[in-house]
Amino acid sequence: MNALIPYLVSVFLLLLIGLGCLMMKRDMIRMLIGLEILFNAANLNFVALSLSRAGFVDPLGQSIVMMAIVLDGCVIAVGLAMVLNAYKHYGTLDVRKLRRLRW
Amino acid sequence: MVMISPLSASFLPLPLAVLLLGGGTLPLIGLLAEKTGLRRLRELWAIAFSALNLISIYLLYQELRASPGRVIVSSLLGSPPLAGCFEIDTLGVYMAGCVALLGFLAVVYSYHYMEEESRLTEFYTLVLLMMAGMTGVALAGDFFTLFVFWEMMGISSYVLVAFLKYRWGPIEAGFKYLIMSATGSAFLLLSMSLIYGMSGTLNFAYLSASLRGVEPSPWLLLLLATLIVGFGVKSAIVPFHTWLPDAHPEAPGPISALLSGIVIETGLYALMRVTYLTFTPSVYRSVFAALAVITMTVANIMALLQNDLKRLLAYSSISQIGYMLIGLSTGTAYGLMGSLLHILNHSLMKGLAFLAAGNITHQTGMRDIEKLRGVGRMMPYTMLSLSISLLGLGGVPATNGFISKFILFSSAIGAGMPILAVAGVLNSALSMAYYLRVMKNFISTPEGEFEAEEAPALMVAVNLLMALLILLLGLWPQPAIRYADAASRMLVEGLGRYIQAVVGR
Repeated sequence: MNALIPYLVSVFLLLLIGLGCLMMKRDMIRMLIGLEILFNAANLNFVALSLSRAGFVDPLGQSIVMMAIVLDGCVIAVGLAMVLNAYKHYGTLDVRKLRRLRW
Repeated sequence: MVMISPLSASFLPLPLAVLLLGGGTLPLIGLLAEKTGLRRLRELWAIAFSALNLISIYLLYQELRASPGRVIVSSLLGSPPLAGCFEIDTLGVYMAGCVALLGFLAVVYSYHYMEEESRLTEFYTLVLLMMAGMTGVALAGDFFTLFVFWEMMGISSYVLVAFLKYRWGPIEAGFKYLIMSATGSAFLLLSMSLIYGMSGTLNFAYLSASLRGVEPSPWLLLLLATLIVGFGVKSAIVPFHTWLPDAHPEAPGPISALLSGIVIETGLYALMRVTYLTFTPSVYRSVFAALAVITMTVANIMALLQNDLKRLLAYSSISQIGYMLIGLSTGTAYGLMGSLLHILNHSLMKGLAFLAAGNITHQTGMRDIEKLRGVGRMMPYTMLSLSISLLGLGGVPATNGFISKFILFSSAIGAGMPILAVAGVLNSALSMAYYLRVMKNFISTPEGEFEAEEAPALMVAVNLLMALLILLLGLWPQPAIRYADAASRMLVEGLGRYIQAVVGR
């Protein structure tokens, strides 16, 4: 169990960094990077926990991480396409300019 | 217990196979339609496959009804089913049935609504894939399969929200939706990893056998919190709801109906299934009860302030999610039956309300309630169906909304939480204020500068059919109640059988 602690601490730090990135960054591409950091925190948690099962490395956790990476990639691709469209409309990547929808 | 039948022995459950086949072949059909000039081929293809989906759900339902309490297990990777498996029970088929019904009606409605738009091949492909994602979530037998289909539903819906990309609204709303919803998915993945770390498996039956009833530890509470964040963002429970009033109104009409009518309920269904399988209700009761009251109250007060018709309906969807949470927080079979019944009824009522609002925006190009004064006199059939759906959403007797709200509130009293029933009744009264305002404005004498004609016949026909279903289920609710009751009993009383069907293989 003690061997897990460094991993869990870094998962927690990655979560904080990802959330902070989503909340504080103004650039749309940086927000997508923050999203990717959040996904990777969860992936790291999977890999770390798959190492800790009694005496062997569990292939289930590892294979799930492979699939999850693909799914994150799809989400980020759609996000980048939207950023491209937003850039065509507004001529900027600043998310503060996308404030016409309220309430 | 578990028998392999011609319907279930296939690689995928039948409805899912139908939808994936339809969605996968639609690009080819679209190409064919462009080449040959038969432009309507895409629409007809999509309608045919969503009708086939409805039929295959019915076949699956017949098969399950023949032997009550049966669980069909179909695994892609052999047994024991570790990942990539489906466990089809009455509850899953109930939810998939709601998806198929509203999906079929929305696709038929799109036939005229979307005919002016370009890129229709992409549109119908994404609609079919979104339906496939929801059906997969409903039928999934392990958490990872659920997550894959969850993302499939999510990605299709992000693109569909931003589909009308030549206007600024959909792009803004789509980006906001994507960021918030994908954050929710990341938390869902985190909760999966926590479950995996605690029990070593992601299969619902195994994890229920190993985690349910364990003394609550800090890790379990962390798991509950990540689950609520993960599913709560998609189902728009109040602290996480801010994307919904932007995303749902900006989507095209039939997509708003699908998103509000069934996508957020799929989130609620997944929350219901996973929390019930992982925890005993005493762990999460008070959390869900508090969330239910906050969700109802905040959403209803916000809806009172809206002037945009579709935005008002979107806030009303959030408050309906609050009502459904009442049933979850009771944790009894009766309360869950109320929630499930309200999912079906709300999918019809809110689907109809958004489709009727779609008629109005399609004919006039406006969504402002004050400017649309008197539109109901120009579009009588649309107005009739809109009124029926709004009265249903408010819970007026003789509509199906009354039946499910009655069951929900009485279950709250039965479970010893009368405060929830009081909050629910007060909120229903509050919600009537804005529904009646819409109706009053639309029926009053036109002052305006605009002319409107009644929408095309097919769109009106879909509206009237749904209005008829609302009245029918309000006056003669027994079949729906029986079906919802079987589904909720499957979850509550059939839990042991559910585990046995998988573990005992």
